[in-house]
Amino acid sequence: MSLDKMLKKLSVRSPWLFRINAGSCNGCDVELATTACIPRYDVERFGCRYCGSPRHADIVLITGPLTTKVRDRVLRVWDEIPDPKVTVAVGICPISGGVFREGYSIEGPISRYIPVDVNVPGCPPRPQAILEAVVLARSIWMKKLGVEA
Amino acid sequence: MDTLFAVLHMCIFPGGVFALTLGFFFKALDRRVEARLQRRVGPPLSQPWLDMAKLLTKETLIPKTACRPAFLLAPIFGFTGMAVCAAFIPVPGVFDGLFNMGDLLVLFYLLPIPAMAIMLGGSASSSPFGAVGFSREMLMMLAYETPLLMILLAVAMLVGKGLHGGDWGAEFSLLKIVSWQQHTGSLGFNPVMIPAFLAYLIFLPGTMGVLPFDIPEAETEIIEGPLLEYGGPLLALFQVTSALKTFVVLGLGVALFFPGTISEWWPVNLLWFMLKCLGLMLLSLTLVKSATGRFRIDQAFRFYVTVPTGLALCSLILVWVI
Repeated sequence: MSLDKMLKKLSVRSPWLFRINAGSCNGCDVELATTACIPRYDVERFGCRYCGSPRHADIVLITGPLTTKVRDRVLRVWDEIPDPKVTVAVGICPISGGVFREGYSIEGPISRYIPVDVNVPGCPPRPQAILEAVVLARSIWMKKLGVEA
Repeated sequence: MDTLFAVLHMCIFPGGVFALTLGFFFKALDRRVEARLQRRVGPPLSQPWLDMAKLLTKETLIPKTACRPAFLLAPIFGFTGMAVCAAFIPVPGVFDGLFNMGDLLVLFYLLPIPAMAIMLGGSASSSPFGAVGFSREMLMMLAYETPLLMILLAVAMLVGKGLHGGDWGAEFSLLKIVSWQQHTGSLGFNPVMIPAFLAYLIFLPGTMGVLPFDIPEAETEIIEGPLLEYGGPLLALFQVTSALKTFVVLGLGVALFFPGTISEWWPVNLLWFMLKCLGLMLLSLTLVKSATGRFRIDQAFRFYVTVPTGLALCSLILVWVI
């Protein structure tokens, strides 16, 4: 096995998470924060770490229905994330608009602008579902890198 | 021949490979113990190496408006400084340190280099967050370098008095400081030096930039500040620098305050050295980090110029008077 392939294979064990709030009501954000912090659903055991900078991110977690005000900013931040990246839509809002659907200020669903890899429906989703999404995103990331588990 | 030995010491032991392995091990253990203290599982012990592998496969983005040479050179600058620094650290009973004349002073000048690299990178990245991080890093540096200088002076003066007697002056050779303590007892148990040791414990989280003093790289306020624009291999280099710095500051703490050996056989001494470093880290970094929030920059500055500076000054005056 070549060095490059080995590095790639190891690299999926260190997914750094980055949160984008696209006009969310904060419910999903609280859920994301507690998923990382509280003992029962410790996401750090997968090697994850929340990072503050989009430049360091591997897995992007987007919450919120993508309002008109934040659309361009969300797209810009998403563009700043280096490839390969995996996008996860957390909560029903980025998937379909949720309760805000067809509102005058809603630009979503987010998949109109960004290729979404994993959808996690729920309002807010259960922590277990978010953890499963992170694990799923990891395997998608592996596919994007071109290595098999 | 001497040059060759110096390079070997910088690349393999105690600098380079050894320092990096130990530094990464400490960083992983730090995260793991912190997780356990918060009743979580925590990442595996190989996590820093995995992070490194990941960062090497990521692409490097350089902002269009950044000052390219400074942006690219800053991490290398910091890494080189720390790699040289690591070779100065004496491992009691195993290795005497690379240079044996005034190396304490050289260390004092080399220690701020990673902070300067972060400042350089932050200001070269052309990001406003980088600029805020730059000014915060500068303030923090001013705040924690003062107690460090006083601690080093107190140790040097005490050992100088012991070695030369009377008013002969300070002793700035780490080798002599270590060997003097091995004959007369560790300074950490000397009542005169206890305030200085406490000040050193407080200095550690400041210089390592961890909670509650991670103000320059506060990810929730200024999204990692100077490191914001770094990614991929360049960020990996910053992490390597940080791991080396962990080794350097912990090793310096052991050399200054607890350089005792327990055996004639060097592997035992090496293990003993690592254990002491570990104890120092758990006490001053991990425990504090897992239980505190972040200070504001003005609070941190005021704290550093009063408490640790006062403690170190206490020791300095006591050494002078007694």
